[in-house]
Amino acid sequence: MSDTTKIKAKLKNGIVEVKALASHPMLSYQEAERAKKEANFITYVVAKVGGKVVYEASTSQFLSKDPYMKFSFKGGAVGDDVEITWKDLKGATDTSTAKIK
Amino acid sequence: MINRRNFLGLGLGALAVVAIPGKLSAIDFRETMPKAWTVTKVDDAVKEIFGSTATTEGSINLSAPDIAENGAVIPVSFDTELKATKVAVFQDANPESAVAVFTIPENAVIDYAIRIKLAKTGTVTVIAEADGKLYSVSKLVKVTIGGCGG
Repeated sequence: MSDTTKIKAKLKNGIVEVKALASHPMLSYQEAERAKKEANFITYVVAKVGGKVVYEASTSQFLSKDPYMKFSFKGGAVGDDVEITWKDLKGATDTSTAKIK
Repeated sequence: MINRRNFLGLGLGALAVVAIPGKLSAIDFRETMPKAWTVTKVDDAVKEIFGSTATTEGSINLSAPDIAENGAVIPVSFDTELKATKVAVFQDANPESAVAVFTIPENAVIDYAIRIKLAKTGTVTVIAEADGKLYSVSKLVKVTIGGCGG
């Protein structure tokens, strides 16, 4: 899978604000048991601009389905690519990019 | 206009930058701290992640709803002026306590938002580590319909 994360990145007053919506069921152990499925959820998210880490999170099954993340950082410029990569419990990964506006 | 104090400060800053590179590389707390994700008490999780539970109240703004109709999607946002290196979110309503641990890159502006699940009414706690100290803020969120299939 790739490019499944919706990303909006906007530069304002020197600060880039990123809003990202990943696409993932985020099944917790309890939910998975009820649904007779295997638990699976995003465990690690990293965002980079020009190879530099601007956001990094280790996450649990308690993020909502299709996790939403908002974060901000300095040093980005309009036109730079924001690259967000996640990894889930089963080892699947997704990398999505968007330009800073 | 570089006076002696500023000049020394610059030197220290440069030293700090030299000392940090190891920390700038990505840290996946799932791999480095597997136990932190399975413990069921907030204090235990805090101890696993930060090595201590001695926190000072305040210095962080936490925003979460007072009452959440749907426990499956609860917006939680926080911001702080602290030069934090690590921030973690916990709650006491679900089977395990840890929700997320953020490693804060040096150019980050800590104004973060996530959406979380709460199985029932519980307290959301955000803890930030800055200058070797822990700062915390908590908020009670009343949940009318549980978020973990409850």
